[in-house]
Amino acid sequence: MSAPDTFLVLGAVVTLLGAARLLTTRDHLRQIIALNVAGAGTLLVLVALGSEGTGTADPVLQALALTGIVITVAVTGLALVLVRRVDAAAADADADGDGDGHG
Amino acid sequence: MTALLDVLLAAAVLVAAVATLLAPRAGSGVLLFLVLGLLLVLVWARLGAPDVALAEAAIASGATGALLVSAVTGRRPPAEPDRARRSWAALLPLGAAAAAGALLGGVLVRARRDGAGPGRLGDLAREADGVVSHPVTTVLLDLRALDTLLEIAVLTAAVLAALALHRDGTLAAVALPADTRPVLRGFVHLAVPLVLLLVGWFLVAGSSRPGGAFQAGALLAGAALLLALTGRRDLVPTGRWLPPAVVVGLAGFLALAGGTRLLAGTWLALAPPWGAAAVLALEAVLVVAIGAGLAALVLAARPDRRVAAPTPPADAAPAPDRQAPR
Repeated sequence: MSAPDTFLVLGAVVTLLGAARLLTTRDHLRQIIALNVAGAGTLLVLVALGSEGTGTADPVLQALALTGIVITVAVTGLALVLVRRVDAAAADADADGDGDGHG
Repeated sequence: MTALLDVLLAAAVLVAAVATLLAPRAGSGVLLFLVLGLLLVLVWARLGAPDVALAEAAIASGATGALLVSAVTGRRPPAEPDRARRSWAALLPLGAAAAAGALLGGVLVRARRDGAGPGRLGDLAREADGVVSHPVTTVLLDLRALDTLLEIAVLTAAVLAALALHRDGTLAAVALPADTRPVLRGFVHLAVPLVLLLVGWFLVAGSSRPGGAFQAGALLAGAALLLALTGRRDLVPTGRWLPPAVVVGLAGFLALAGGTRLLAGTWLALAPPWGAAAVLALEAVLVVAIGAGLAALVLAARPDRRVAAPTPPADAAPAPDRQAPR
């Protein structure tokens, strides 16, 4: 198996592992991490598909991978801010439910 | 020998990915994700993709790592992890996913073999005579500039949305506790000028070799966050200058698109005499926007300072019960 083939299979496995974890965990922060792992696997598939193994990788697919990395970090940043708001709202709701006597 | 090293590297990536996904605490998951990113840098280098390797180190591992660490340290631990039940329940879908992934990998290997040969899109891009010599930069800012324009639009929209969830739409209310330890301050004083030098190098180098606006922007964000660690806001305009700094990249890109439409007749068509200078100027503006945007995203993951009570602005109409006796 050549190097691109090895990493092609690795990318497919990592993508599906991340996707499975994304669907089965309920913790929002872990979901974001799983999304990032799945995204890394997708990029592995993308770059390995266009790699010759010896020379340089396909410039079009490298540019696509760069775009994917930037979009992923933008999505991650926004998702983390939203998760913090959701967690804070849930904590407030818990405090209201538990502490009626405290007002 | 290299085949053995490839398999070892792939096994290390797989172990790091599984450990990241199954880490019992979110904090250790974040650290394992950083390890996974470092291993992936080696994979990109092995596959002959130095631009992706740089972007992985600077953005996917660096900026995302800073984001996740910033989020996980400002977070209360969840109430009851109930690990015993979850560890078995989580393994079954992961095993099924790994088996399906191996089968998918077999299909992809065959697809790659069928697609090999001359005349591929990448070869055409390499042979195209763009305004800059580095093929990846040619694809990003010359051949497919519209894709990059939309990518910047997505990043700008995400940063503005994250800012909109903060008070006043800026980061002025985010607490930046200053770390006054002398070792850290000394390190920051030494590191920030070096990082800024690297930002300039990546920006200029992107025209002829691996590097470019995205890697340089992520490094600029790193320098800004190092300064923010010591409580300084020199490179992070947390106040009302932040939204303009974030939007300037998209605005510059749109201005270039409109200018080329008016002067050359085609949207984003770059021609040799001035094209290389236009690409460099555009990248310089993008570096500022990407740096400010990524740094703002990391700081936006922190909560606002709590205020004792919501106070109306001084020039607003005073509420009846707030009229103080004079």
